[in-house]
Amino acid sequence: MSASAKEIEQLIGKEYKQGFVTELETDTFPPGLNEEVIHKLWKIKNEPEFMLEYRLKAFRHWQTMKSPEWAFVKFDPIDYQAVSYYSAPKRKEDGPKSLDEVDPQILEAYKKLGIPLDEQERLAGVAVDAVFDSVSVATTFKSKLKEAGVIFCPISEALREYPDLVQQYLGSVVPTGDNFFAALNSAVFTDGSFVYIPKGVRCPMELSTYFRINAANTGQFERTLIIADEGSYVSYLEGCTAPMRDENQLHAAVVELIALDNAEIKYSTVQNWYPGDKEGKGGIYNFVTKRADCRGENSKVSWTQVETGSAITWKYPSCVLTGNNSIGEFYSVALTNNYQQADTGTKMIHIGKNTRSTIISKGISAGRAQNTYRGLIKVLKGAENARNYTQCDSLLVGDKCGAHTFPYVEVKQPSAQVEHEATTSKISEDQLFFCQQRGLSAEDAVSMIVNGFCKEVFKELPMEFAVEAQALLGLSLEGSVG
Amino acid sequence: MTTQTASRYTAEYSKIEAKLPGGSLPWLLELRNDALKQFSGRGFPSLREEEWRYTNVSSIEKNLFEPRLEPSDQQIDKDWLKNYCLADCWQIVLVDGYYSAELSNLAGIPKNVTIKSLNELLDADAEQVEPYFGKAVSIDEHSFVAFNTAWFGDGAFIRIPAKTLLDKPVQLLHVVTDPNRLAATRNLVIAESMAQAQMIETYVGVDQAYLSAAVTEVFVEPNADLTMFKLQCESEKAYHFGGTYVKQSRDARFSHHNFAFGSLLARSDIHVDLGHASECNLNGLYLGIKRQHLDNHTRINHLEPYAVSREVYKGVLDDRARGVFQGRVVVAEDAQKTDSEMNNRNLLLSNDAEVDTKPQLEIYADDVKCAHGVTVGQLDEKSVFYLQSRCVDEETARNMLTFAFANEMVTKIKQKSLHDLVLAEVLKRFPQQGITQDWL
Repeated sequence: MSASAKEIEQLIGKEYKQGFVTELETDTFPPGLNEEVIHKLWKIKNEPEFMLEYRLKAFRHWQTMKSPEWAFVKFDPIDYQAVSYYSAPKRKEDGPKSLDEVDPQILEAYKKLGIPLDEQERLAGVAVDAVFDSVSVATTFKSKLKEAGVIFCPISEALREYPDLVQQYLGSVVPTGDNFFAALNSAVFTDGSFVYIPKGVRCPMELSTYFRINAANTGQFERTLIIADEGSYVSYLEGCTAPMRDENQLHAAVVELIALDNAEIKYSTVQNWYPGDKEGKGGIYNFVTKRADCRGENSKVSWTQVETGSAITWKYPSCVLTGNNSIGEFYSVALTNNYQQADTGTKMIHIGKNTRSTIISKGISAGRAQNTYRGLIKVLKGAENARNYTQCDSLLVGDKCGAHTFPYVEVKQPSAQVEHEATTSKISEDQLFFCQQRGLSAEDAVSMIVNGFCKEVFKELPMEFAVEAQALLGLSLEGSVG
Repeated sequence: MTTQTASRYTAEYSKIEAKLPGGSLPWLLELRNDALKQFSGRGFPSLREEEWRYTNVSSIEKNLFEPRLEPSDQQIDKDWLKNYCLADCWQIVLVDGYYSAELSNLAGIPKNVTIKSLNELLDADAEQVEPYFGKAVSIDEHSFVAFNTAWFGDGAFIRIPAKTLLDKPVQLLHVVTDPNRLAATRNLVIAESMAQAQMIETYVGVDQAYLSAAVTEVFVEPNADLTMFKLQCESEKAYHFGGTYVKQSRDARFSHHNFAFGSLLARSDIHVDLGHASECNLNGLYLGIKRQHLDNHTRINHLEPYAVSREVYKGVLDDRARGVFQGRVVVAEDAQKTDSEMNNRNLLLSNDAEVDTKPQLEIYADDVKCAHGVTVGQLDEKSVFYLQSRCVDEETARNMLTFAFANEMVTKIKQKSLHDLVLAEVLKRFPQQGITQDWL
């Protein structure tokens, strides 16, 4: 056993590959946050009038709020005045018109990350919006998508070109005062993606956004808004990485999804922010509010997330099931190692009749990490025949880590059926022995068992990313399996 | 607001202070003062506290319940009380929070077993109490514990010496006879090593609003085996807080069966600290009707390796009743080889009933087996159909299945007199009262 423990240690301890820094000239605001900064931000982004009001309202509300303390994570208070709220690579007047004009160094950085901004590349079926610090630097396949009527562009561009559409939906799922980090984001968000799928359109390719934090002492505040009009379908994927630094950096994003009648949104995340080093120094604070509103009848939203990065993750992708017969799904693998802390889960609010939700959550905790599932199932009075099934399993690797499960179930409708199951265990020695006895090395055996443990979630990911996620899991576990 | 109304209680405190037992004992006096300070600072628990988020106790603040200053000499309706006095048991009866020698029945109890009024024992031989009092629960736990510690007037002290087997259960019967009465009792139960005993706590009262706030500290010493039953049949206008805080030593066994049937608003706390290779079983059944609010709060702390815990709580909620279940299992860093299972099943029978459940696992050790499950739902339609296909009409079929759901917890009682009493109480609250019992 001790031999295999050692191999597992090795398996978990691999390096963070995306930790490089790209040297660039940047326009960066000095640290600090006040109304003036928001004015400046609004001006630099050249946004419509209503946004200034929107941002200021959020900012004023934020000032009255306190950082939430209920999550099962520990960190020193964040000095919000020491963070810079805008950082963008220097560029010519209007920004790049086409890929050729994008700074080659940025292209190089994305190439290094394995993200093809070149439309000829391997992942030709995926359109990518690349967000670098506070701005979107490139969006691929724009014209092809336009043919189908799909709008896929940076949100700052959408604010300029489709202000009415954005105004109609922005903040309608996550209001400005929703929570501390959502309010902060609403006040200072810089960029992110905007997707609109028109009626009856099945988006011809996967859409994806790649978030990269590069500059030091900045926070990334991105905002994503996806609207699937009646009868449409879209699959969207986001990925994220950051350089290795000793300081913690803040990432506070808001994602809003809106599904109208018969529409379906599939949202997948592979989150690989820098998790900090082995002593728990540095890493990203990932405080994210993600919420979907299944507004229409028969609409469906499916969240899939693979969380391997970040020093602290605080994230609850949720579904408000307003429409009758709407469906919410949540599939999650959260892996924490060393001193990482994750408090993640979901909320399913059943409002409409015959609404259904499924939650599959797999937590893996290694090293000295703390991994928490926190979920809420709320069935309101009108949600006749609502149905929920929840399964949360935790796997413990090492005797210094913790795995916690905090589900909340609130039911006000007798015809609802709610089931919750949770288990916590370690990789059993019998399983390990069985695999080894069949000729697998301990390391392969562990990686196989862990992958098997997560399979239910991985099968929900788009194919290319399922492969990536599996590899990522192997990397993150390196040096910890025991 | 909270502290303001708490101050109504604290203002009253000076009136009763001199009458409370143990006034000459410095350690108890100090504890009471700390508890009073704690309580007046925090007031009764508010919804903002995570452990109380589903239970609003503000109506306790609004009613100012008053404690009795000395044992009551009032005549009690003995015929009514007889319904709750179990045959084949020793009885210790607390009336409005005070021990009643007249009603208690301890004839034939083995000489080495101590069953006494806490009040008397604090006067006569406080040294027996001091090593245990406040050791299973601290006044920091929450305001009700602090409140109880400051206000308690009496209670029972039960000690079963080492290697003693009690062949009959000890029934601790709490009775409240006056409206607006506060009965704050404090009980200590000690099962010394290798002792074996059964205890039955029963709570009843007049059909009026009153507050019964009891804290019971239980010590199960090495290899001892203690089974406790709690039958809470308070009046439907009453408020009930009952906390049972258990410390289990090495290899000790403890089972608790909690039947929460009565009260307008009831909260029960069962907290168990598990020692090395000890075993703990927690069973519960809550039946809510009308506007009842029944909150069941359990915590199992696996502090040392090899302990086993099993927990099953079932709830049936009808009318406008609200059921709450909060179950928490904490496995400490060194508690390897822990084996823990928790289950909570709820049946909602009406459109206005509600259930809020919150099972929690908090695990800091890796070599453990822990699971929990929760369901909220209705009767299985297939089972209903099956019975209908066997010529049982739908209503009876539903009643049978609902009864069977609840009865699973009742059948765990082996003591006949208690089993029959609990069964009668279940049937009383059963939808469609007085259904024919020919299929029982």
